[in-house]
Amino acid sequence: MLMQLTLGGFAQGAIYALIALSLTVVYRSTTVVNFGHGDFVMAGAFLSYVLVVLAGIAFLPAAVLAMIAMFVLGVFFSKGLIRPIRGGPHIGLALMCISAGYILRGIARMVWGREVLPMPPVFDIEPIFLGNLVVTGDAVFIIGTVFVLLVVFFGLLGLTDLGKMVQAVYQSPRGARLIGLNVERFNDFSWGVGAALGALGGILVAPISLLHPDLGASFLIKGFAAMTLGGFGSLGGAVLGGILLGLAEQYAGAYIDSALIEITAYVFIVLVLFIRPHGLFGRKAVVKV
Amino acid sequence: MNKLTTFLTAATLVAAPALAQDDAWETQGLSDGAITIGVMGPFSGNASSYSKALIGMMAYYDKVNEEGGVHGRKLVAVQEDTACDSAKGLAAAKKLISQDEVFMLQGNSCSGVALALRPTIEEAGLPWIVAHAVSDSISDPLAGNIFHGVPTGSANGHAMAAFVLSKPDTKNVAIIEHSNDWAHSYSNPARDYLREQGVEPTAELTMERGQTDATAQVLKLRQNKPDFIIAALYEAETAIFLRDLKKYGMGDIPVMGTAGTDLENTLKRTGDFETVQNYYVIHSYVDNLDGEKMKPWADMIHGYYPDEELSTFSFVSIGSAEALVSALEAVGPDLTRSKLIAALEEVRDFDTGILSDPITWTPEDHQGVKGSAVAGFVDGEPTVLKAWGQPY
Repeated sequence: MLMQLTLGGFAQGAIYALIALSLTVVYRSTTVVNFGHGDFVMAGAFLSYVLVVLAGIAFLPAAVLAMIAMFVLGVFFSKGLIRPIRGGPHIGLALMCISAGYILRGIARMVWGREVLPMPPVFDIEPIFLGNLVVTGDAVFIIGTVFVLLVVFFGLLGLTDLGKMVQAVYQSPRGARLIGLNVERFNDFSWGVGAALGALGGILVAPISLLHPDLGASFLIKGFAAMTLGGFGSLGGAVLGGILLGLAEQYAGAYIDSALIEITAYVFIVLVLFIRPHGLFGRKAVVKV
Repeated sequence: MNKLTTFLTAATLVAAPALAQDDAWETQGLSDGAITIGVMGPFSGNASSYSKALIGMMAYYDKVNEEGGVHGRKLVAVQEDTACDSAKGLAAAKKLISQDEVFMLQGNSCSGVALALRPTIEEAGLPWIVAHAVSDSISDPLAGNIFHGVPTGSANGHAMAAFVLSKPDTKNVAIIEHSNDWAHSYSNPARDYLREQGVEPTAELTMERGQTDATAQVLKLRQNKPDFIIAALYEAETAIFLRDLKKYGMGDIPVMGTAGTDLENTLKRTGDFETVQNYYVIHSYVDNLDGEKMKPWADMIHGYYPDEELSTFSFVSIGSAEALVSALEAVGPDLTRSKLIAALEEVRDFDTGILSDPITWTPEDHQGVKGSAVAGFVDGEPTVLKAWGQPY
């Protein structure tokens, strides 16, 4: 059972990791926590549904198109709604994110009502039985996709000139400006990448779950919990936090009580904030006086 | 003697307005040509799809009216929207009772709203027939003027457990449910019935709303090896649970679901017949929705509401509307609220021709429908069942 739970935990955790990473990408560059991010996840899932079910496009190209569309939406959201209020109080930015999320949810409700929509199975391969361990197509696909994406993401960040520029902006936006980098455009780009990565989380969860306009709410909390555990602002920490959360949910649900699955994320948030507020990989806030 | 006469005259003068007021209250909402009935339902908002539950009843009123009404009086519905919200529901009830002055109330989806309305309507005293909401607490403890015209949660929970135990050699029963009142209203009576029959649930698991994965629950069940699983889960979570059961090689274990799901939509949501072939649900009707016995009712609804897309909910209120008309006929033309309540309490084994179980209301028990059939796939076709392997 332990192996099975670990495999299931990795698959679920991979989705949480993706969502936490997408939240962190935006937070790291703009210091804005996107409280509407769950609805970006939902929007990605619904876009892929429209492309696959209504437009008849195959799942993989539909997923790519949905991510591109969400990237564009993220960029426009940053340019049109975040930039104009950037100098204002932080609460205004948070409210803008929440409002945008509710608008996306409202649109989904207007079109699909409270219907629970099925996505056609895309990982429709027979599970492989290795003794008691069942290796399912969806687990392999989710873990594989997220793994490849993370390798590409962190490879770009650590090994390319583009990555060095990104890190420069992360470390000091003012310094980056002084050497001629367009920080505003970079921030727009971060919102786009955040929206696209979050959308991929929704796209991956759509075929194994069912779609409804409130889909994103629980993923937002999982993303926050993973972010908190990994350390606010740490990209690698967000990924590790997501995986650990996925595993913890499975172990707690199976070995202690299935009711714990739902509250594991909240327990993580409370414990981490008490014991190690900067998370596993976050930096302690240092205030110079 | 003079003193006695004076006292009686004074007493009569004092009591007369009150007696006249009682008479007026007894016939409020009545005229020679109409009986006004307040119909509350979620006609807007997130749960507006449940307002379909009132369509069958409204169509039945139309049918009765077309045939001349009851003792010459037409059934005139006055609709008010609750939006499945307790505050709005309370405002709607007060408007119907005090402003529109309807004779009686019938309808109501959303148990939470109906529970919030109970004190107000009980105090007002006019007859109220609950035609969709299932919570037992709406009509238990007994309120003199409140009648339940559909199977309550406990009737359904009992029916679920009885069906599970009707499968030969069923000893090991597991329960998976949401941790909310709706799920408990099914699972607790099911548990009670199982225990009465000497069967203790061997696994009791939780799956919350919004969960997209049931791996942990299914793996616990795999260790437990149940003969039957009772699932008090909403539609989305039911589909996810059934998918995961199949995924981990446990698709051959039968699962008993609530009236909150149906076979056709669960099949649509899972997209795979093998996943649902061992799924059974509470089904309150005498036939499949597209079966011969349901056709006259479907035709009736489409006769008055041609655009209505029929679902399980569309038919649910017809049985209680039939029982109401039967009681109104029994009272005769000299109708009052008290006489109607008395006539409703005389309804015994009333075969509606649509609900799988008859309606019986007594002065001691206003929960009229005590059982429910079950639907499951037999030879690939949705089939209404009385017990395991026994078609209805």
